[in-house]
Amino acid sequence: MKINTAIRHASGIALLGGALLAGQVQAAGESECIAPAKPGGGYDLTCRLAANGLLETGLIDEPMMVTYMPGGIGAVAYNHVNGVRTDDPNLIVAASTGAAVNLALGKFGQYDADEVRWLGALGVDYGAIVVNADAPWQSLDELMADLKDNPGEIAFGAGGTVGSQDWMKAALTAKSGDINPRDLRYVAFEGGGEALAALLGDHIQVFTGDLSELKSQLESGKIRVLAALSEERMGGPYADIPTAMEQGYDVEWPIWRGYYMGPEVDDEAYYTWVQRLTELSESEKFAELRQARGLFPMSRFGNEFDSYVKDQVADFKSLAEEVGLK
Amino acid sequence: MFDFLIQGFGVALTPLNLGLAFLGALLGTLFGALPGIGPINGIAILMPLAYTLGLPAESALILLAGIYTGSEYGGRMSSILLNVPGDAGAVMTTLDGHPLAKKGLAGPALGLSAVSSFIGATIAIIGLTLFAPLLAEVAVMFGPAEFFALMVFAFSSMSVMMGKDPVKTAIGAVLGVLLATVGVDSGTGVMRYTFGMPELYDGIDFVVMIIGLFAISEILLMLEHANRKNADDEIPPLGRVFVSLKEVLYCKGAIWRSGVLGFIIGILPGTGASVAGAVSYTTEKRLSDKDGTFGKGDMRGLAAPEAANNASAAGSFVPMLTLGIPGSGTTAVLLGALMLYNITPGPMMFTERPEVAGGLIASLYIGNIVLLALNLPLAGVFARVLTIPRWVLVPAIAILAFVGVYQLHSDLTAIYLMLIIGVFGYLLRKLGFSLAPVILGYVLGGLMEQNLRRALSISGGDIDILWQSGISLGLWIAAAALLVLPWLVPKLLSKKPREEPQQD
Amino acid sequence: MSNIQKPVADRLLGIVLIGLAAFVAVQAIQLDVPFSYEPVGPKAFPLGLSILLAGLSLVLIFKPGADGHWPNRALSIRLLVVLGLLLVYALLFTRLGFVPTSVLVVAALARLFDATWTKALITGVLMSACSYVLFTEGLGIGLPTGTWLAAIT
Repeated sequence: MKINTAIRHASGIALLGGALLAGQVQAAGESECIAPAKPGGGYDLTCRLAANGLLETGLIDEPMMVTYMPGGIGAVAYNHVNGVRTDDPNLIVAASTGAAVNLALGKFGQYDADEVRWLGALGVDYGAIVVNADAPWQSLDELMADLKDNPGEIAFGAGGTVGSQDWMKAALTAKSGDINPRDLRYVAFEGGGEALAALLGDHIQVFTGDLSELKSQLESGKIRVLAALSEERMGGPYADIPTAMEQGYDVEWPIWRGYYMGPEVDDEAYYTWVQRLTELSESEKFAELRQARGLFPMSRFGNEFDSYVKDQVADFKSLAEEVGLK
Repeated sequence: MFDFLIQGFGVALTPLNLGLAFLGALLGTLFGALPGIGPINGIAILMPLAYTLGLPAESALILLAGIYTGSEYGGRMSSILLNVPGDAGAVMTTLDGHPLAKKGLAGPALGLSAVSSFIGATIAIIGLTLFAPLLAEVAVMFGPAEFFALMVFAFSSMSVMMGKDPVKTAIGAVLGVLLATVGVDSGTGVMRYTFGMPELYDGIDFVVMIIGLFAISEILLMLEHANRKNADDEIPPLGRVFVSLKEVLYCKGAIWRSGVLGFIIGILPGTGASVAGAVSYTTEKRLSDKDGTFGKGDMRGLAAPEAANNASAAGSFVPMLTLGIPGSGTTAVLLGALMLYNITPGPMMFTERPEVAGGLIASLYIGNIVLLALNLPLAGVFARVLTIPRWVLVPAIAILAFVGVYQLHSDLTAIYLMLIIGVFGYLLRKLGFSLAPVILGYVLGGLMEQNLRRALSISGGDIDILWQSGISLGLWIAAAALLVLPWLVPKLLSKKPREEPQQD
Repeated sequence: MSNIQKPVADRLLGIVLIGLAAFVAVQAIQLDVPFSYEPVGPKAFPLGLSILLAGLSLVLIFKPGADGHWPNRALSIRLLVVLGLLLVYALLFTRLGFVPTSVLVVAALARLFDATWTKALITGVLMSACSYVLFTEGLGIGLPTGTWLAAIT
């Protein structure tokens, strides 16, 4: 009897504390964002970007719920939206360039990129070609020249497998310098952090990462970014980094962070969301939020975004076929 | 030199931040104690809340760090009391923790694990304060080749667990490694053993593994015990509640060694509390288990993994704070939390935002003391879980198992998988297997394969890379010594029994 | 049930494991690798493991250990009932919702572990309701309310 009381008291206190704490977050809002990953990853941040932004700018009244649906590098969520919640007008799902790559490679099973309604992107990051500060290469040209002579001597590394968006950065860069991507030496790590650590420890020579994850390393001077894979130079701490384009290599790699909706969502709901995201992207408050997450501005919404993604997927498909991935 | 720490204590000792450290420790213990639900859940829930409430960066970080360290404390409870690990780091804690509880020493076992956790974490936090930037340099010296050598070392240190049935231990480990190969192969992107199910692309989740293997099989075994009506299977008597100083002193060697070992493993990016617990347990068994009491309720076998997993939790802050590279899944989430505040952890953090870096480290000291103060007196209360009758305990375990697995994916596939693994675990246990080698094979095998393949892709197939660096060479020699010495030393000793001074 | 003279369990296990090793190996050989940079590839590890597993299983078949205590028929039935209950729990978890399913399963499990019907029912109701509140409100973990409820409202 005593024990039961003790447990009841204990759980009562825990409940009270917990309820006070969690009450606000869990108040189920009308709208929901699925992050197709475990908490804390890039998709989580993508969902929270929309959730916090929309709430703070008053574009939605109730907090947006963020649910996690990890599994199959996004395939589980994609199948869920295409199979179960096909017409939910209040559901958006976080996606990125990585999802487009996986769609192109047919990794999302029976469904392809034409199934869902692509909604829009709220921010973008760019790929970067990074070497250790002690490395002999001062520019992309020097690296490419060396690479051409003996591609097998320089180890590339990044956070994804062959066929992932991280690998695409390396493959496209090689291709822009007339080097067969298949001749590269490429090492797949578990996430960009591990690859960066391997670069700092001189285990690999080139790391193809994302600009925003390099900020603190740049400031400390431990790495050198040979090229940003963006259309033009970025501002702030990245102002000194030349683009690959201006060095004469035709390679760009934007990593957009956006959303899609179910295939049977009606036009009314779809355009409501397009409107919301467009307004959000124009507000100043949102610019701060986006910057805090290390993202650069990108505004493509509605049909424009829809065709952008579909074009991208088609491009990746042909690239994959070219290098013999499919 | 330690200005940041003094400033940090100034920050951490404000009433608000002290309260948050306390709250974080309490919630963390709760999150950690529930099987399958761990610090990542807690942090993911509280991160946006802290942000919405407008807590300053250092306060939010103090709260989250409290949850992180607290859950490492919490994880041991169900390990000791129910033989079900509360989280990844607490798997090895079951080996001696649960037998102790069965002997009626649940209270002292909980107390001892709290003390070991405290000392292990303190060793690591002091190490973090003094050597963080230096250690970060060492951490990046570990490349794929060095990690591979480390895994070889870990596997050979496992040979100590071979015990009375080496064949079954080896089979268990092989089965564990095989389970780790399920999913998208990270080297080539090829699907292995996924049978077309997207739910398996990411592999079998660690939580599904431990809940299935331990919790579900435990339910089935409890049913057998309930039916057999043997006196020794009855609910054990509740003996003493508190751990004695003598017992703590008896384990001091184990705690020290494991604390240091756990810290070192913790700072390596990619190896976490589960590896730390495994390596420290097997090392300690190798060093101290002269009478074969490990696995039957030896206090040192409980103290070692507990000191190590807490030390590794604190150790994983080193690469995060100094390099901006997360050392574990949980620090990856913390890193995300910092990004919310526009703070990029990394080499510049100690100079640019000393109040955040210092406040965090100071709060680790404080949180650790809070946790000890919280956990020691409560040991007696928690030990009473054992007196709960089976007809309450078993359904409770079932609910915890289902919720713990369901919340991973909000999906039933993981639950079916858990049930299958549970039956598998039950059969293994009936067949005289120990579950620890299966889990160790699962944890270490994946790392071993990936790093071997990475190392050889770097070198283009030249296997010399595997022992080129001093670190890997040292690890290879240590691994060989572990395998050869136990076999060699007795032979040498028996040849010239008196003259040789005692070795080992 | 159990054979005391000849250790059967380990031999049987050895045969099953050899089957598993063969399955693992066949699956590994069939893996289709489009192209890769690595000299090792995804097949080597599973193949090596299956050979190791087969070897160890042979040892088990030729030098089996003693059989453990295996459950008798009555207990086996009860074990299957518990497993069936857990399966029902999984099947109804999302359909019926967390609370009603838990009430059913907890009560049945408690009954199986020798609680009286009254005690079992009270345990079921209390435990389900309390854990639902604890998890959803306290820990912020979303639990299924049941598809039938969603259909009504």
